[in-house]
Amino acid sequence: MAASTRDTDVEPTRTRRSASHTRLWGWLLLPPAAWMMAFFVSSIIIVVLLSFGHVGPTGRPVFGASGANYAALWNETYLSVFLRSVVYASLTVLLCLLIGYPVAYTIALHGGRYKNALVAALVIPFFASYLIRMYAWSTLLSDEGLVNQALRWFGLSEGVRFLNTPGAVVAGLTYGFVIFMVLPVYASLERMDLALIEAGKDLYHGPLRTFFAVTLPATRAGVLGGVLLVLLPALGDFVSAQLLGGPSTFMIGNLIQQQFFESQNQPLGSALTVVLMIALLVFMVFYLRSTDRQRRES
Amino acid sequence: MTLPTSGPALDRRDFLRGALGLGALAALAGCGFSGGDATASASASGASASLAPAAKATIDGDLVYFNWAEYLDPDVLKGFQKEYGVKIIETNYDSYPSMMAKLSSGNEYDVVFPGSKEVAQLRAASKLQRIDKAQLKNADQVFGVNPYFDDPWYDSKSDYSVPFTMYKTGIAYRKDKVTTMSGSWNDMWNTSASGHIFVLDEADEAIGMAALKLGLDINTISPDDLAKIKEALLAQKPLLRGYSTDDINNMAGGNAWIHHMWSGDFLNLVNNTVKDPGNYEFLAPKEGTPLGSDTYAIPANAAHPGTALVFIDYLLRPENIDKNVTYLGYPMPTKSSAAAFAKVSEGHPACTVTVEDLGRANVFKTQTPEGKAARDAMWTEVKAS
Repeated sequence: MAASTRDTDVEPTRTRRSASHTRLWGWLLLPPAAWMMAFFVSSIIIVVLLSFGHVGPTGRPVFGASGANYAALWNETYLSVFLRSVVYASLTVLLCLLIGYPVAYTIALHGGRYKNALVAALVIPFFASYLIRMYAWSTLLSDEGLVNQALRWFGLSEGVRFLNTPGAVVAGLTYGFVIFMVLPVYASLERMDLALIEAGKDLYHGPLRTFFAVTLPATRAGVLGGVLLVLLPALGDFVSAQLLGGPSTFMIGNLIQQQFFESQNQPLGSALTVVLMIALLVFMVFYLRSTDRQRRES
Repeated sequence: MTLPTSGPALDRRDFLRGALGLGALAALAGCGFSGGDATASASASGASASLAPAAKATIDGDLVYFNWAEYLDPDVLKGFQKEYGVKIIETNYDSYPSMMAKLSSGNEYDVVFPGSKEVAQLRAASKLQRIDKAQLKNADQVFGVNPYFDDPWYDSKSDYSVPFTMYKTGIAYRKDKVTTMSGSWNDMWNTSASGHIFVLDEADEAIGMAALKLGLDINTISPDDLAKIKEALLAQKPLLRGYSTDDINNMAGGNAWIHHMWSGDFLNLVNNTVKDPGNYEFLAPKEGTPLGSDTYAIPANAAHPGTALVFIDYLLRPENIDKNVTYLGYPMPTKSSAAAFAKVSEGHPACTVTVEDLGRANVFKTQTPEGKAARDAMWTEVKAS
């Protein structure tokens, strides 16, 4: 071996080694792949098939080949729910970016030896279930909850209606998913060569211009990743709207939940799910293509 | 799945093809489960009398318990676990439809607490086990007491269910916040409580509320009636704070001044939850209120029906009935619980529900599939708009 590596013609050896490596990895991949197929891909296939079905006489879903469920979605109410979800999710992404970027920036560039502790402090609250944290907020923000009691105590206000408003839904989504923005941005800032910022300063850029001309482009991949990671769950979420929302904050996730549980119309719920998945796929493809382009450029 | 046996790299296309194939296989298995509907519905239509022998009341494992949250006194549950040395594995639902969805998708539970309408549906779909009354030592607490429950409309001869609670849906309000209540369902459209009104998040209850206000049948499936109901519900929407079944917390948290509410939940609120019960009142609107009763039942696919029977028998002990009536605030149609209910409902006569009330019209019944779909679609549009 030692001799062959020093050999000028090393290529065949390396190919053989990597081939056997690949085969090993292929076999190691089998159990997780089987798991994903059995429980993930199969359920997606069932959902897609069901979306062409209808509800049987006993209330059970029956498979079919009709586009009636999709036709039913082409309706003002459903479209407005879809639009509302997109608006809430976009606002959430924007807020997460405005909050997440400075936090990641501060930790990555000024965290010093506390960096890891600060990241841990950010992550730990997310060990508690999202549902539990949403319940906690609904208690805290209620009209006679702690926040309003505090406002009254300090004489700041007679009480503010936080709960059951669109703002509460977006705030809930932001709180729930902001970590998905912080972590990828933090990772890309960590990877960035700090000499670039120095160079920006050396070229007489002010701090703002350095940020927009150097730092932000260098962390574009992290930002895009964060945007996607926040957008996907926010668009499909129903918990925030259910626990913090009001009568007019129904999101597409609520609509799907309503069809599967309350109305027991699984075929219609499936059609909604398929449409949502297609929309998410569009964002996903956009993301993959733009990161691909970026990789090729660099 | 084809794994590459030679060649330098895993061929992505092969991998995906194999993966999809595997996924399709698993999906087929899933369809098989769903296709079982045909046989289930066939046996349901061929007379609901399943001839499987009813279970015996002997402990045959831990109890898998499926109920509304806090819909039995926790002390009673603790007592059962201690006395019989079994665990109660608890799962909750937040509406009857979600309970039905989980039952019909094949989840296994040993004991459930369906409302009367759900019992009728579950029995018709052969989803319940017959309960042999001879296995219940305390059966005389609830059977042979009221003719209504010896042969109720939802379950002939009460063969598949045991009566549990009786309830009424009315309006709860804050006396310190709202002074203009008329005693009618119009109070749910009371503009002086705008932004502080909650409607129960259940299709039947919301439709029933609007139907009674408009003088219509709460079980209506007529397109004209449903259009009028939809209009009323949409007109109410700007006044609402939300749709929710979490009535106790909404009232206690101060978000609700007027709440479409179940009678027992109201008593639970004033007796156990708030510090200033004098500020809360419950009214049973003059147009009439939806009425109903809940039951204990054992799903057909229960893994431990013996433990479930022992549990139901334990719940029928007079002392446990009294504890539950006191905790829940709902009356039960049993021999000796009237005193406990009188005590817990003192000062709130509107919360009383009698067996005679149940004989009257306003009970939610099962609709035809088309009728149910029309009601659900209308309700979805109201909520989504």
